[in-house]
Amino acid sequence: MNEFIEQFLLEARELIAQGTGDLLVLERSADDQSKIDSVFRAFHTLKGAAGIVEFEPMARALHAAESVLSDFRTSDELISPAIIDQCLSCLDQVTRWLDVMQATGEAPADAGPAADAIVQSFALPKGPAPNSDAALPAGDWLAELRGRRPDAWSEAQTALRYVPDADAFFKGEDPLARVEKLPDLTGVELAMREPLQAFGAINPFTCSIEITALSGADTETIKQMLSDLGNGVEVIAIDSPRRSNSASELSALARSILDAQVLLLRESEEAGLAGRIMAAGRVSMNVLRRTGLFAAASAVETALGGVLASQADAIIGIIEDALLEEPSQLSPAQAQAEQARLPLAIAARVLRVDTARIDELVNLTGELTVVKNALGHLAALAQGGLDQDAITAGLRQRHAQLDRLVGEVQRAVLRIRVLPMRQTFERFPRLVREIAAGVGKPVTFDIEGDETEADKAIVESLFEPLLHVLRNAVDHGIENPQRRAASGKPPAGAIVLRASRHLDTVIVEVADDGAGVDTARVREVAATRAIRPPEALATMGDGEIIDLIFAPGFSTATQVTGLSGRGVGMDAVRNSVERLGGRVAIESRPGQGTTIRLTLPFTVMMTRVMTIEAAGQVFGLPLDMVVETAIIPRDQIVPIGRATAFAWRDKTVPLVHLAETLGLAGEKDQSRAARVVITSFQGQFGALEVDRLGERMDVMLKPMDGLLGRLTGVSGTTLLGDGRVLIVLDVQELFS
Amino acid sequence: MTIRMAGSDIIELEGSCSLEDAEVLFQHLLEHEAAVVDWRRCKEAHTAVIQVLLASKRPLHGPPAGAFLEKYIEAALGGGHN
Repeated sequence: MNEFIEQFLLEARELIAQGTGDLLVLERSADDQSKIDSVFRAFHTLKGAAGIVEFEPMARALHAAESVLSDFRTSDELISPAIIDQCLSCLDQVTRWLDVMQATGEAPADAGPAADAIVQSFALPKGPAPNSDAALPAGDWLAELRGRRPDAWSEAQTALRYVPDADAFFKGEDPLARVEKLPDLTGVELAMREPLQAFGAINPFTCSIEITALSGADTETIKQMLSDLGNGVEVIAIDSPRRSNSASELSALARSILDAQVLLLRESEEAGLAGRIMAAGRVSMNVLRRTGLFAAASAVETALGGVLASQADAIIGIIEDALLEEPSQLSPAQAQAEQARLPLAIAARVLRVDTARIDELVNLTGELTVVKNALGHLAALAQGGLDQDAITAGLRQRHAQLDRLVGEVQRAVLRIRVLPMRQTFERFPRLVREIAAGVGKPVTFDIEGDETEADKAIVESLFEPLLHVLRNAVDHGIENPQRRAASGKPPAGAIVLRASRHLDTVIVEVADDGAGVDTARVREVAATRAIRPPEALATMGDGEIIDLIFAPGFSTATQVTGLSGRGVGMDAVRNSVERLGGRVAIESRPGQGTTIRLTLPFTVMMTRVMTIEAAGQVFGLPLDMVVETAIIPRDQIVPIGRATAFAWRDKTVPLVHLAETLGLAGEKDQSRAARVVITSFQGQFGALEVDRLGERMDVMLKPMDGLLGRLTGVSGTTLLGDGRVLIVLDVQELFS
Repeated sequence: MTIRMAGSDIIELEGSCSLEDAEVLFQHLLEHEAAVVDWRRCKEAHTAVIQVLLASKRPLHGPPAGAFLEKYIEAALGGGHN
């Protein structure tokens, strides 16, 4: 894709985010003049950008919205929710067009009708929309044409839609004569542009007709023959997989993949439901995109943003329609209740970078060059017979310099990959609005600290887990309005998403002012579902009980609302966050609210480890899993079944011999006290007995991939200074 | 004339109907609300004429004589042969 288009897409998406944010504020405070101005500017700039890349339908649609917004700027009238909705829908459509452009590198050729629909929606006075089956809907004229002329369609390579100017007759044109001259016509359809007009009122000399036609000739030929008609005619290739609506274009493989997703979605098993829906949703979207069924792919994406209960059904419906031969149901009509638009989760291949950070790197390369030259000089001196001590001193000095410089380069590079949380957070206000509307609870949603930065990978990967958490907060954190009124709380639930940075960690919190976690109920369910054995449950305090919410298979839905209870998705959240090197915890204040706290590393790449030695080999343990190191006398270690354990701070901690667990040979030296590292993961403690405790270091962890990635107990490797490979252990896997 | 009333209930189209004929056709249709259109001898028709036919939704007695009209336009106007 050329850079020009990439730049356009980047800016357009930012403008859309800006406009969306402004519209959502206006929804709460319609008299905020600064927001009216700001949203007007956003639409205006977007329109201009569309003009520059010559994407006429987009410019046309945005112009309609912009005109309406302009009126609100100058008049005293307050902007209405209906207009806000129309503007949001307009932005949704623009986003869908941008997605097509992102995927294909060009503006979509079939954008005209959708643009017409948008213009129409802004032009209508608040009356019912005219509808008639004589007119082609401004929507999918291709689908309509195909529906009416399936035989003609199957023989055609090209479809066209010709809407002559109203004064075409005065200019001496005969539009049907043009169509007659086209080669290989297979079918023609006609419609009046204003079907409800009384017959007596029409002007026979004004051209008000829409002609659609199908031809077996190739698209280029048709385009050339009609090229003088400019924008009055749209010509679409039917055969090419990129633009085809035909389900027969789906390869057998694509079909079977989509069939498999439907099967997966039909599984009614509650456990893992949210995860299955997300997974099936993603796969279907990708397959549909690849086979050119962009409308269906968009519809799936929209469905994913909606209420959990209906997602599976909505997606199944969309896929099944896509697999059928009839395309006319292939439309975002499936997602009509779901207005939330999940912007395409494209991991941006393009980064906006502060030039100062680039300058920093340039300076560092300069300094590195200096040290390199100095080393070269030192080598020459050594060759010339410089004495050992002087060489050693010189090397030490240069090493120290390199050490400092490499550290700075590492930090500088990592800082380039850093993005503000806003990138992900800005997608949520719209979604939270839709989720809340879906369950009928008024909710206020605030974001704090979205300028907080973190590594690009982290910022982007947080979207799904945070969406789960936010959905849970709305569904289950916030009580229904009656309960809230009874407890004297304001009618609208308050949800806050906040991010902050402390040194090397980033903390993201979702706090609600709901009823908090019902620990008694959690205990009950945990017992019923055998999440933990009863003896264990009896000894667990409230804090540990609440943590069980993250256990797989947990759910406390007390009503059959179709919405899976808190618990479904929370295990997925914990997994995602831990994969990023972070932690997630819940804090609950009964009657007052719940806070979910995600703690994440600032960057994914540097890990603090503690080295330990076992059976003569050195291993690393991620420092954030290490609670304490201790030396435990042998007589305090007791056998429990086939394992051993010791008492530590009023807890019983299982003890595992590291070398033995890793299957390494070596003698267990029972004569001296055990050197023990006490680790913690997911609220549980475990201790590793090692031969020697080592130092702490920051390492750039390379995750194991390929075959080695399946090794249990290992999370990655790094190179030590002496050339040895340091294997960093995955504590959780060691204990399971 | 290419557009002509035949009796009070039938409007006949014959030969090549031009842009101006659209107005004539329109008037006939307004004055005779129950008339049907017989275009069996119509070889060609300007788009304006077809437009009037389309908007009027009157029954058409075909098939029209012209190839283009018969193959494509008759179906588009909602007709089979009657």
